[in-house]
Amino acid sequence: MMLSRVAEKLYWMTRFMERAEDTSRLINAVTLMTLDLPGEANFGWNTLLKVAGLDQLFFAHYPEANEMAVMHFLLQDEHNPSSIMACIANARENTRTFREVLPGESWEWVNELYLYARKELPGALDRRQRYEVLQGIIRRRQSIVGLLSGTMSRDDAFQFLLLGRNIERADMTSRILDVSHAVILPADTPAGAQYGSLLWMNILKALSAYQMYRRHISVHADSAKVVDFLLHDRRFPRTLVHCLDEIAGIVQVLPHSTAVLASVHSLQSMLDMADCDALATAGLHEFIDRIQLGLMEIDTELRERYFRLQDVHLSDSVVAGVDAAE
Amino acid sequence: MDISCNNYQVGSAFDELVAPDGRPRPLANGLCDYISGLGTQELTGRVAAVDAAIMIAGITFTVYTEAGNIDRAWPFDVIPRIIDRREWERVELGLKQRLTALNLFISDLYNDQKIIKDGVFPLEVLQDSKNFRTACIGTMPRFGVWAHVCGTDLVRHSDGEFYVLEDNLRVPSGVSYMLENRQLMKRLFPEVFGRYRIQPVDDYTAQLYDTLAALSPRPGERPVIAVLTPGIFNSAYFEHSYLAQQMGAELVEGADLTVLEDDCVYMKTIDGLQRVDVIYRRIDDDFLDPEVFRPDSCLGVPGLMRAWKKGTVGLANAPGAGVADDKVVYAFVPKMIKYYLGEEAILPNVPSYLCMYPKDRKYVLANLDKLVVKPANESGGYGMLIGPQSTAEERAKFADLIKANPRNYMAQPTLSLSTAPTLCDEGLEPRHLDLRPFVLQSDRLYATAGGLTRVALRKGSLVVNSSQGGGSKDTWIVEGVQ
Repeated sequence: MMLSRVAEKLYWMTRFMERAEDTSRLINAVTLMTLDLPGEANFGWNTLLKVAGLDQLFFAHYPEANEMAVMHFLLQDEHNPSSIMACIANARENTRTFREVLPGESWEWVNELYLYARKELPGALDRRQRYEVLQGIIRRRQSIVGLLSGTMSRDDAFQFLLLGRNIERADMTSRILDVSHAVILPADTPAGAQYGSLLWMNILKALSAYQMYRRHISVHADSAKVVDFLLHDRRFPRTLVHCLDEIAGIVQVLPHSTAVLASVHSLQSMLDMADCDALATAGLHEFIDRIQLGLMEIDTELRERYFRLQDVHLSDSVVAGVDAAE
Repeated sequence: MDISCNNYQVGSAFDELVAPDGRPRPLANGLCDYISGLGTQELTGRVAAVDAAIMIAGITFTVYTEAGNIDRAWPFDVIPRIIDRREWERVELGLKQRLTALNLFISDLYNDQKIIKDGVFPLEVLQDSKNFRTACIGTMPRFGVWAHVCGTDLVRHSDGEFYVLEDNLRVPSGVSYMLENRQLMKRLFPEVFGRYRIQPVDDYTAQLYDTLAALSPRPGERPVIAVLTPGIFNSAYFEHSYLAQQMGAELVEGADLTVLEDDCVYMKTIDGLQRVDVIYRRIDDDFLDPEVFRPDSCLGVPGLMRAWKKGTVGLANAPGAGVADDKVVYAFVPKMIKYYLGEEAILPNVPSYLCMYPKDRKYVLANLDKLVVKPANESGGYGMLIGPQSTAEERAKFADLIKANPRNYMAQPTLSLSTAPTLCDEGLEPRHLDLRPFVLQSDRLYATAGGLTRVALRKGSLVVNSSQGGGSKDTWIVEGVQ
């Protein structure tokens, strides 16, 4: 038995946690990447904001996207609900409201992550400490994932945790793939090709996928291969196909899930049909837009089916656990 | 910092651990030896570790201030309070006796009102009662029990006796801190637990579960129990979620519940609607059901009263139980015990002056500087006048309040609350305490071994409420020295 409200909070708790971790990984990768890119490549910090879908919000509060401002905004700005600090605070508040469905230690670990972030994140503004501090976030979040995976029954609560994690991951992977669109390389320079490969390598790194890509696909970060890997590789846990497989598997066993499942299937078939060679040359950005719409669609279906039992549902709905005769 | 009990200055109040001659009481000997044996450095280290554990465990309560709500770490004092088991047995009997009589009284008030007809309880007190719910008239919950969970506040006077200060019959809180305090203590001073035979406290949640399960309208099946909370912004939210977790119950908010045409209560789950058998509600009557009480409440569940009166759901505490949680009604409890049970009260009341009686009122108005004046229906230590610490202006204000609404005020002599050594910046100093045991009743009666000892952390202060600078201590009921 799972309260709708609790299901929704679990789902959002992991989405926020995943977002905090993914953003930490992204910032670490990008910080390293900026050191490698040529001066004439127009990678500005605003690219990072576009990837995160936060550029409008940012410019509502800051005049200019320099490193300090963008870092402050992404790490700890309270105006930014997706800042790492806000995500962790939000996940913590959510966790507090359903302590009874999680293993006892989870709250303490989430709270410890929160206390760590509050103390250490300001230090991550400084490039020299940034890597360490963000690794600390990632490590703590991964401990929580491990704790839940090792001590929690595979009940409905667990399924909603997995759902949130995979939707958020799919979303982040598609956004990071979109970086390639945002960075315009100096195409005419002889070094263009070299920087192209550097860019794709860094995209993989931002998803912590570089090593597995190299091991299973190629040592060269070639655009079509990377796109294909991030869309279609079933073995790596952050690819779109992997996340969607997971989502489909979970939704299948949830009660009354036909409509939700349909939205997952339609996104899966769109993904299946994608021609990566073609996308690598043109149309990747538009394709990713469609993926994002598909993910939003799944999110909407989940909300309507499980989180917001409207009054419409109440009168004609399934009354569980009660005899019809009673 | 001095952590030995040797230089501890016992005041005029009764001290729980140290005798008037400055030597530890027999039961406290082992503890005092142990603590001074630890040395200041070791003790400071352990206290820091416990403070960190409290932060990490997020044992907090919310303080409402003008600047917004602040989530504060639970202030915990590491020196436990010790009570002899033989003494406690008598207190426990007294607590059970008291709750039994109170429940008989509430049943009587909402039904035949024999106690009024027999002239033992004055009609005018009932007529002016803020917490009498007309919606409950003619109702008789299972076992005739209305207050299933009661927090009884006790204080120990300088004569060494426990007195009942008040009965909290609405939504008493604090039990989770009692349970957490013991966990913290085990981490802090594990060695002492070997030296004493301390009665465990952690069966409370199992007892609470059984108490609630007995209220299920569908006996025989595993009941669906829900803890109804006003939500995360309530100061006791930590406790609501803690108890739900410990009992394996659902923690619900009003919006999670709905009452259908069959007058049964359902939870909204991902599987559809699921019937609820028993609700341990932690929201006040006023907000419980907008159909019956405050129509603007969005914390409650429309139709809940209908369901409860029809008997399709158990509610703990029952609506209307607060009628006996009134500082004027309190003064009549010893008479109730005599009237319903034919027994003398085991635990004495603090002598009380009811301002509704002209003679008492005259005395109160003439002695405001010596008395504690309390409004009948406030909790949390709000709206009180502590005479000896008050200004002339405050006393004048209270004199006006009393004259305007005498029924709503009662006064008591300023008690000397007992003290116990408490770890302060300079070392061990006496601080004033009270004690809130929790008593359960449905088809059974149960009282906690000890309870929540609250301590006024400010020097000389008598106010122990956590919202006003109070902290707490672990309370040990121990087997006496052989």
